[in-house]
Amino acid sequence: MQNINNLALAKVNTQKATQKRAQLSADLLLPQVTTATLELMINKVLALNNNNAISFTTLEQKTLMLVLTELPFTLCFTVNTSANKTVVIVRSECEFNDCTINTSINTLNKLKAAQSLTQLIKQDELDVIGDIKIAQQFATIAQSLDIDWKTELAKHLGDIPAHKLLHFGNKVTKSIVATGKQFEADLAEYVVHEKRLVVTSSQINAFNQNTKDLVSQVDALSTRIDKLIAELAKITNK
Amino acid sequence: MSSTDQSPQTSDLPATPQTPTNGDTNSTTHFGYKTIEKEDKISMVAGVFHSVAKQYDVMNDLMSFGIHRLWKRFTIDASGVRPGNKVLDLAGGTGDLTAKFSQLVGRDGKVVLADINSSMLNVGRDKLRDKGLVQNIDYVQANAEYLPFEENTFDIVTIAFGLRNVTDKDKALRSIYSVLKPGGRLLVLEFSKPENELLTKAYDFYSFNILPKMGELVAKDGESYQYLAESIRMHPDQETLKDMMENAGFEQTSFKNLTGGVVALHKGYKF
Repeated sequence: MQNINNLALAKVNTQKATQKRAQLSADLLLPQVTTATLELMINKVLALNNNNAISFTTLEQKTLMLVLTELPFTLCFTVNTSANKTVVIVRSECEFNDCTINTSINTLNKLKAAQSLTQLIKQDELDVIGDIKIAQQFATIAQSLDIDWKTELAKHLGDIPAHKLLHFGNKVTKSIVATGKQFEADLAEYVVHEKRLVVTSSQINAFNQNTKDLVSQVDALSTRIDKLIAELAKITNK
Repeated sequence: MSSTDQSPQTSDLPATPQTPTNGDTNSTTHFGYKTIEKEDKISMVAGVFHSVAKQYDVMNDLMSFGIHRLWKRFTIDASGVRPGNKVLDLAGGTGDLTAKFSQLVGRDGKVVLADINSSMLNVGRDKLRDKGLVQNIDYVQANAEYLPFEENTFDIVTIAFGLRNVTDKDKALRSIYSVLKPGGRLLVLEFSKPENELLTKAYDFYSFNILPKMGELVAKDGESYQYLAESIRMHPDQETLKDMMENAGFEQTSFKNLTGGVVALHKGYKF
């Protein structure tokens, strides 16, 4: 009974914390800051895209809603091609959408790494409601974007600094990825093997207690030996 | 709430006139802190906006530190707009909301950018055309009190930072109600009353001491920005405006304070 009450209380507290988080984020206009930034970035990237094979016509006026576990608000992406160029409008609320994806940022990264949408759905890492084709088309477009960063950077910085900067960026990325992989491996090693060998706090407490007992036993023995020596000395003197 | 409650706290500010909150009697209304004849307000407000139209966007960014873009985004997010909708962006000025609505309603939808001021409308039209937004936008010079549209025309009506300049706000709200379709919604984005006393003082100091100087420097028109500060203080507070919307017939009315109540977004439905 006590456990059930605790669970209910914990659930209420979690709900309150989530509501508080959502309220704070709304007060700070965080959803609007996020959507404005995303919109700017996406449309910049689309403007730089060199892959002419990408077609947005089937996505015209279609809205994809993304519900990320890490965010207290949703992200809605609507495609518009009416002004002779493709723009993606990002909003934090949309009452009507063609497809909803429930997932986490981590899974989105996996999606970027060319893992198929269906595979992730099978693994329960991603939940799709509505027209799955819309989600697939968005994913395909994100994977097929072809941007020549070196040329774009060179326009602003010049050829050599752009080359150096990208070379340095690649090196840093590789190093970060390698460090991440090493950290993952170390962590796995620790969890699988070393954690089992690590002494627990109760074992330390028991060891401390045993040591104390041993010390008191040694003290008692030492006192007894002293007494015996004293008695032996008396007998010898007589 | 009386107008005295809305008066700025800073001592060097001009005293607010003792008029009802919506500022209206039968023949007079307010223009900032001045009480004027109703028929004079349109031309006086027009004078302000003819004067600031060309610098309007720059001044908005400067005065609000760019936050007005987030307030407008919030309005778009709350509008529930969908492809095919008909939207009226009333007092739409330089067309910030129209631009977004135009992209969201698509080819099957329609956005009407309406403003009483021809200078603002011209600046808005040029800006939107430069952005390539031409297919689904109409431009109408119209007074919010007498909207020249058939009843039950629009799915959404927005009025952002415009209602406080309207002479008869009740009449405007009734006119908006009439042109909305059943199930349609009105969104009023407008300056309001900050919730926090400290914020109110800082905001008053900024509005009456810095804003007019900024206007003088950038738009070469300090007076218009003095009017802006005064008109904000004379605008009904959150609860009063909500009541006014209900009196005009709107249902399920609500408001959301933004940036501590400096601005509020009111929402109401016609059923």
